[in-house]
Amino acid sequence: MNSSATASRVGIWLQATWHISVPTQWLDACILWIHQENSGVNLTQAQINKMVFEQWLLTDLRDLDHSVLPHNLGKAEKTEINGLYCIQIDSLVDVSQPAYSQLQKLTGKDCTNENVSAATQPSQKPWEMKPSRLLMLQLTDGVQHLQGMEYQHISCLHTELHPGTKILLQGKIMCRLGVLLLKPDNLKVLGGEVDALRKEFFQAKLLCKLLGKPVDDIENAHAQN
Amino acid sequence: MVFKRLLCAGSRLLHVSAKRLFCSSPEAMRRIQIKKVLCVAEKNDAAKGIAEILSNGRARRKEGLSRFNKIYEYEYQMFGQNVTVLMTSVSGHLLALEFKAPFNKWHSCNPVVLFDAEVEKYCPENYVDIKRTLERESRHCDALVIWTDCDREGENIGFEITEVCKAVKPNLQVFRARFSEITPNSIRNAWQNLSEPDLNTSDAVDIRQELDLRIGAAFTRFQTLRLQKIFPNVLSDQLISYGSCQFPTLGFVVERFKAIQAFIPETFYKIKVTHETDDGVVDFNWKRYRLFSHTACLVLYQICMESPIAKVIEVSSKPKSKWRPLPLDTIELEKLASRKLKINAKETMKIAEKLYTQGFISYPRTETNIFPKGLNLSSLVEQQTQDDRWGAFAQGILDRGGPTPRNGTKSDQAHPPIHPTKYTNNLQGNEQRVYEFIVRHFLACCSQDAQGMETTVDIDIAKEQFSAHGLMIIARNYLDVYPYDKWTAKVIPVYEQGSQFQPSTIEMVDGETSPPQLLTEADLIALMEKHGIGTDATHADHIETIKSRMYVGLTADQRFLPGELGMGLVEGYDSMGYEMSKPDLRAELEADLKLICEGRKDKFTVLRQQIQKYKQVFIEAARKAKKLDEALSSYFGEAREFTESEQIQM
Ligand SMILES: [Mg+2]
Repeated sequence: MNSSATASRVGIWLQATWHISVPTQWLDACILWIHQENSGVNLTQAQINKMVFEQWLLTDLRDLDHSVLPHNLGKAEKTEINGLYCIQIDSLVDVSQPAYSQLQKLTGKDCTNENVSAATQPSQKPWEMKPSRLLMLQLTDGVQHLQGMEYQHISCLHTELHPGTKILLQGKIMCRLGVLLLKPDNLKVLGGEVDALRKEFFQAKLLCKLLGKPVDDIENAHAQN
Repeated sequence: MVFKRLLCAGSRLLHVSAKRLFCSSPEAMRRIQIKKVLCVAEKNDAAKGIAEILSNGRARRKEGLSRFNKIYEYEYQMFGQNVTVLMTSVSGHLLALEFKAPFNKWHSCNPVVLFDAEVEKYCPENYVDIKRTLERESRHCDALVIWTDCDREGENIGFEITEVCKAVKPNLQVFRARFSEITPNSIRNAWQNLSEPDLNTSDAVDIRQELDLRIGAAFTRFQTLRLQKIFPNVLSDQLISYGSCQFPTLGFVVERFKAIQAFIPETFYKIKVTHETDDGVVDFNWKRYRLFSHTACLVLYQICMESPIAKVIEVSSKPKSKWRPLPLDTIELEKLASRKLKINAKETMKIAEKLYTQGFISYPRTETNIFPKGLNLSSLVEQQTQDDRWGAFAQGILDRGGPTPRNGTKSDQAHPPIHPTKYTNNLQGNEQRVYEFIVRHFLACCSQDAQGMETTVDIDIAKEQFSAHGLMIIARNYLDVYPYDKWTAKVIPVYEQGSQFQPSTIEMVDGETSPPQLLTEADLIALMEKHGIGTDATHADHIETIKSRMYVGLTADQRFLPGELGMGLVEGYDSMGYEMSKPDLRAELEADLKLICEGRKDKFTVLRQQIQKYKQVFIEAARKAKKLDEALSSYFGEAREFTESEQIQM
């Protein structure tokens, strides 16, 4: 089979099925690698498609150096996008709660004794604010970096998503001050992760950084897990 | 002469034989002629009050050998016969537990020996006069009636009294009077229904005393002797006591302090909306409450500012109650007095005891927060109607169909909730304030919840939601008699659903998270209760101990701050890996004591198991003692090395 023809068929399949666009150079290298890994095996086009997609999910988009988002999107005061963009979440954090209490919970250091107070006679509680989650996402298409805000609750997002997870953005999305305002219809999780980012952006370390706290202990504990 | 009874660890037969000597039923007793009865209460005040009731104020006062414990003599009826009653008292425990010589001396042995060394009960010097009065009087009496407080310690004191009296008059018949308040009904009722002393409960106290002595002495000697030598400049004269209750209590204080130290404040941002109306300024709170991201908040704020029109989405009202208090138990009394009256737990209990022995309130050591069916609440409320301050309220309760107490779920099956038993307006100072609190709490509990109507107005500005809350108080009810609770009405104007208005201000404001606060005494009691450290009767004492040892101090606003010694000790033991400052070990012990009281666990088994457990911990702690030095050296400077000979002594 002609290798450049294979590459172009994969490229078309990625675009048509997943709305993913990749540079030819990467695609060629990826297919070459797949053939090397499977030498002596006769791979069908469908098998190659699937393997390339899997590789893409595990690739840091920075390595592709291939911008897909509208140019200078992050710099606009206020704009709107409306299209299909496959990009990567580097990290995400819930900004409705203090990082400190999130870190305590994560490292098992939250102490129930802190919630014990003198007033134990049961009584009807006064009206109380119960804030709901608001995730801020660090996003990149590999070239442009910007943030995404969970403007309305998006159930497929959660703090256990691995750094480097790939998502598809779709529909009309407002963008202000470099922040995409995301609603549930705007986002689909494709999966994947990036090993290198996992070491950099795991949740506990992220929270430590936000708090300006040394990360050594956390890193050691994480390495052991 | 000092009375001494020798005991070996784990073999105390005396109470078993004592039990055999008690008459098995009051029925059997009636056949034996009783002419003279010795009655013994826990305190002189109680003896006086009980004698006054039973003699209708005609008791003759005589001196005892102890100048604080009088004898009240009167004629009365017992089992249908005329008898002479001699009512006297002790002053709490009559006997104390100590190691048998030479182990009672500090340098006599390696402290680990104290887990097995022989102990003895003896009568301390200052109680010998009381003991001699009991001996003198019991010689010419035929029966003994125990009138000590009806709680664990009281039961044990009863057995101490019995022991002393029977030593001089072996065929004395012994009865127990059970009562919860020193009022005519309750006292006469106790007299009519004399029963047997409760050996199980007394046993639990014996075991607790012995464990406290062994554990406390072993650890106290170990750490005091060691640390005095290692930090001679700072600690040479310091007693560094250890107790299996005081350490977890100290642990809570240190834990909170460390949580505050570790805390990292964070800045948050929020959008604040106000609306000025003819009825005043209404604050609308953001549904998102606050965000820990400046950018996120700014984006949402800008969106609001681009179309700053508020639309009223929903206006809803719902009834809201503020619940009247539950019947008062000891822990709530301590916590509330500490918070509302600023009287500490130790002082509160001292006052409450006094009010009790004077007959003004029911027994103040109770875990019950349900009023028993038989208690005539109406007449108790009735007594209070003569007061200028709350009399009208009390009358109101009666006029509206009588008391309707809110009830809790706890009962110790021994005492009712704390309540006033007699009206008085002759008290002064803190006694007056505690009495007033107990009366107001009782009346509040017997009345009605406060009723209100809460209104919520939800608005939307550019898809962001905000809400304002108003509270209308419809009926203050119990609040009228209970100034310790506050409920503030908040008026908001009428908003119509679907209408729009222009907010007066829309602002982005910031703030910072703050650490938890140092513990108040009330918080500390709540933690002790949650973790089963001590009992309602002892919480206040343990707190007092860690204060008097300088392990903790109080800030200007009466919150607990650990001292250097306290911090160092907790850190040292924690670093050994034994959670000695954690509550688990002691909580198990308390649970075992409860099982002894209920007759569900053998006292010797508990004693053996607990000694074994703590001894193991002690051996390990002594082995890792260097960790203690290390922890303290960060507060007291470098640790002095032990010489070899000192090492051997340890
Ligand atoms: Mg007592």
